[in-house]
Amino acid sequence: MDVAASRTGRVGLGLMFVALVVFLYVPIVVLMIFSFNDSLLVAFPLSGFTIRWYRLLLDNDQLISSLQVSFVVAAISSLITVALGVLAAYAMVRRGFVGRSAASGLLMSPLVIPYVVFGIALLILFRAVDNLLIPRLGIYFGLGVHALIIGHVVVSLPYTILTIAPRLSRLGTSVEEASRDLGAGPSETFRRVTLPLLMPAIVSAYLIAFTLSFDEYAIASFVAGDVTTYPLYLYGQVRIRIGLPQMIAISVLVLLFSLAVVVGAEVYRRRAERRLAV
Amino acid sequence: MAFDLVSLFADRFGRRDFLHLAGVAAGAGLLAACRQAETMDGQPGGPSASARPPITEESGDLRIYEWLGYGDGSYGDDALWGDYKKAGYPAPKFIKTFDDDSGFTKVAAGARYDIVHPCAYRFGDWVALQDTDGSPVMQPWDTSLISNYADLNPALQEYGNFDGQQYFIVVDWGFAAPMYRSDLMKPEDSWNVLFDERYEGRISWWDSLNMFIVAGYLNGVADPWDMTDEELEKQKDFLISKVPLVRTFWVDDPAPDLINGDVWVAYAWPNHWWATLDYGSGDGVPAVYMNPSEGRTSWYCGFALFNDTQNYYHAHEYVNAWAGTKAAEWLITNYAYGHTNTAVDLNAVPEELVQEFSLDDPSVLQEPNSHPERPIARRDVYNELWLEVKAAA
Amino acid sequence: MSVRTLAPERTWPGTLGLLAAPMLWLLLFFVIPLFVIAAYSVGALSLFPTDAGISFYDWHRFLTGDSVYTSLFFKSIRMSLIVSAIVVVLAYPVGYYLALVARRRRYVLLLLIIAPFLTSYLLRVLAWRVILGAEGVINSLLVSVGLEQSGDPISWLIYSQFTVILVLVYVWVPFVALPIFVTLENLDHSMLEAGADLGAGRWRVFWRVTFPLSLPGVGAAFVFVFIPTIGEFVTPSLVGGTSGLMYGNAISELFLKGLDWQTGSVLALFLVGVVAILIVIAGRVLQFRNVGGTL
Repeated sequence: MDVAASRTGRVGLGLMFVALVVFLYVPIVVLMIFSFNDSLLVAFPLSGFTIRWYRLLLDNDQLISSLQVSFVVAAISSLITVALGVLAAYAMVRRGFVGRSAASGLLMSPLVIPYVVFGIALLILFRAVDNLLIPRLGIYFGLGVHALIIGHVVVSLPYTILTIAPRLSRLGTSVEEASRDLGAGPSETFRRVTLPLLMPAIVSAYLIAFTLSFDEYAIASFVAGDVTTYPLYLYGQVRIRIGLPQMIAISVLVLLFSLAVVVGAEVYRRRAERRLAV
Repeated sequence: MAFDLVSLFADRFGRRDFLHLAGVAAGAGLLAACRQAETMDGQPGGPSASARPPITEESGDLRIYEWLGYGDGSYGDDALWGDYKKAGYPAPKFIKTFDDDSGFTKVAAGARYDIVHPCAYRFGDWVALQDTDGSPVMQPWDTSLISNYADLNPALQEYGNFDGQQYFIVVDWGFAAPMYRSDLMKPEDSWNVLFDERYEGRISWWDSLNMFIVAGYLNGVADPWDMTDEELEKQKDFLISKVPLVRTFWVDDPAPDLINGDVWVAYAWPNHWWATLDYGSGDGVPAVYMNPSEGRTSWYCGFALFNDTQNYYHAHEYVNAWAGTKAAEWLITNYAYGHTNTAVDLNAVPEELVQEFSLDDPSVLQEPNSHPERPIARRDVYNELWLEVKAAA
Repeated sequence: MSVRTLAPERTWPGTLGLLAAPMLWLLLFFVIPLFVIAAYSVGALSLFPTDAGISFYDWHRFLTGDSVYTSLFFKSIRMSLIVSAIVVVLAYPVGYYLALVARRRRYVLLLLIIAPFLTSYLLRVLAWRVILGAEGVINSLLVSVGLEQSGDPISWLIYSQFTVILVLVYVWVPFVALPIFVTLENLDHSMLEAGADLGAGRWRVFWRVTFPLSLPGVGAAFVFVFIPTIGEFVTPSLVGGTSGLMYGNAISELFLKGLDWQTGSVLALFLVGVVAILIVIAGRVLQFRNVGGTL
C-alpha cells in the first residue's frame, strides 16, 4: 500500500497539479500568442499572424548589447556569490562558534532591504568614494558593470547560502571524517570529497543567483551608469507602446533558452547524482 | 576569461581550481573596470570653465540623460537630432531612464552626464543643485552658439532664464487635459468629468500631485500652483471624496486601459490621445482630447548643460539640431507635442494637430487660454497630501 | 541533527578564515550603505544642504502612528499575511504530490512549474492585465459563451485587491513549492511506513507523522514569501487599481518623487529592522541549520 496517498488521493492531487500548471502557463501562452500578433496593441481581438517582431529583434543593437551586459554581469556576479556562499555555508554548518546567530542574521540581512533603497545607498556610496579618491589618488571608481556586480552579489548571497547550507548539512560529516581518517588533509578533503558532493547544490545556487541578477531592475536603475542592462531596456521599451511586442518576443526567446539551460543542468545533475550515489 | 565548462563539472575539479577560477574572474572584472575608468575622458572633476578646449579637441562622446522615446535612433527618432548626425559628429550615448523625479534624484545623489532634459516644474531645483564642494552642478548655455535660438519662442525661453542666464533651452511643450471615448460618452467640456459619479469606475487619474492642480482649477482656487494650507486641505478632502469613483491611477500611459474599455475617461497628454486615435496600423479608437472650460494646463521642457561636461561645443551643436525645424516637424507629427521653433512649416504637419493645439497661435500658451505650469514651491507638502489621498483609497 | 564539529587541529582554515571574504563583502557593500541610510533618517546627512541638524522628528512621527505611513505598514503586513497563507496552502499539495506521489517524474514536473520564472516578471504581470481586462480573455470568453453581456464586463477582475492577491500568489506558488518539496522529499519514508505498519490509516499518518515533520520546512517557506511581500509594490501598483498603494510604494516615492529622503530612510530602516527581527525569531524557531529538512 502506498502510504502517501490512496488512489483517489493520487488522482485528486494529480488534478490539482494539472490545474496549477494551467494556471501558471496561461500568461505565458498569452505572451506567446501576442508575440506573433500583427499589431502594436496588446489586446484582443487579434490582428493576424506575423513574425516581424522576431525579425526586428535581430537588428536591434541596443537590445542585443543590453543582453550581453546582463549576461556578463550575471555570470561574474553569480560566480563570486557562489564562491562566497560556499565559504559562508561551510562556516555556518560545520563550525559552531559564539555569535553564530548574529553572523547568520548578517548573512541573511540583504533579504530585507528594499532594492530601491539599496540602489540609492550604493549610488551615494560610490559617489562618496569617488569624491575621496579622485583628488588624492586619481582613481575613478564610478558606476557601471563593476557596480552592478557588487550590488548583485550582496542581494544574491542569502539565496546561495540557503541553497548550499541544507545540502551541506544533509551530507553529514561522516564522509569527510572518513577521508581525514584515511590521511587526507583538510583542503584535499574539501576538494576531492566535499566539493564534488556539493556540486549539484552549487550549480543550483549559481543558477538562482544568475536568474536574480539577470532580471534585476531596481538596483541597476541606480548604479548601471551608462550601460543598459536587459531589464532596464525591457522596462523602458514596455512603457512606450511601440516597443512592447518586440519585448514580448524577446522574453519568449529568453524563456526557451533558459528552459534549455535548466533542462541541461537537470540532466547533468541526475547523471552526477547517480554517479555519486547519494 | 578562459575556463573550460566541461572541466568545471568534472569530478577532478577541486577547491584550488575553484578559487583560482574565482580569483581570475574577479581579477578580470576588476581589470575591466579599471580599464574602463582609464578610458573615461579626463577626470569628472573637469577642467574649469575658463580652460575650455575648442571643438576639435573635444572627444565628442556626448552622454545625454533623456526621456524614453527621444532620440537614440530606434523608431526613427534620431530625426530629432538629424542635423547633428548629418554634420558628422559621433553618435551620442543616450541614458534613457530619465523622468523628472527619479532623474533629479539620481543627479542629486551623484550621477553626472553632459545634457539632461527636465521639465519646467523643476527648473529652479536644477539650477540650485550643488555638488558636495558647493560648486553648481549645471551651467548656463551660450545662446550665441545656437543658431536656431533666434527662431525659438522667446516667451517660453523666459521660463528657462535664471539670473539673466539661459540655463534651459526650452524646446518641447504640450498640454494636459481629459481624454475620453467619444463612442461611449456624450460630449463633455469640463475637468469635472474626472470627478463625475456618472462615470464611476471608469475614470483614470494620473498618479501625481498634479491632480491637486486640477482640483484647484476646478474649485476656483486663485493660484493652484501655490496653495495655502487651508486650500490644500480642502482640495485633499475633495479628492478623497472622489477617489471611490476612480478605477486606477496611471503611471506611464492611460491609453491601453482606454482602448480596452476598462476606463472611459482619463487625465492625458497629447501623445496618449494621438496614439489612441492612430494606433498601430490604422485601427484606432475614437477619442476626444477635451478643451475644458476651466482651461487645459500646459507643460514645457528644455535641455540643460552639466557644469563638468567635457563636450561643451558638441552639446551646443546637439541642442541646435534639436531646436531646428526638422526636429519640430518630427516631434509634432509623431508625438502631437508642440515645439518652440516658430519658423516651423505648419503645412508639413497634420492639419488636425494644428487645429487641436492651435500650433499657429503662440498665445495658446498664455493665460487664460491655458494654464502654463509653474514651479510648485511647496511640492513636498503637495506630495505628502497626494500620498494621503492614495492611501485613503 | 546537531552540528558536528571537527577537532581543533583539523579545522583549517579557521572559521574566521572562511567567513572573512563574505563578511567583508557584506560589511563594505551592505552595512556601510545601511549606515548611510541611517544617517539620512536622522538628518545627519541630507540630500540638500539644510540648516536643520540631527532630528528624530520623522522617527517620532512614524512610530507614534502620527503619519499615513504607519497605517500603510500594517496594510502591507495584512496583505502579506493573506498572500503568504494562501501561497503556502496551495503550494503544500503541490510539494506533496511531487515528493511523495509522482516519484519517478518529480524533477521534470518541478522544472515544469519553475520554468515560467524564466520570463520577465513585468511581462507576466502585464499578461494578466490582458487576461483579466474588460475585453480580455476571460470576459471575451464569457461573452462568446453567452454568460455575459458584451459591454458589461466583470470589473473586479482587474484593478482590485483580488487582482493583487491573484498575481502575487501566481508569482510565489512555484517558488514556495520548492522548499516544501525539498522538505517532504528529505523525510525519512520509513517513518511513514512505520506509522502505517502500526495500523494508522493514511490520513492519520499524514496528520500525525508527515505534516508535523514537514512543519519546519513549511514555516521556512512561509517566511520565504512573507518577508519580500511586505515590501512588494510593483504588482500592487500595476494591477491593484486605487487600492494598490503599499508601504513599498511609499518608500520608493518618498525617495524618488517627494525627495524626502529623511522620511524615506526612516521607513526603509523600520522595514529592515522588523524583518531582521522576524528572521532571527524564525531562525530560532525553525533552527536555521535544519532548513534542509533533515531530522
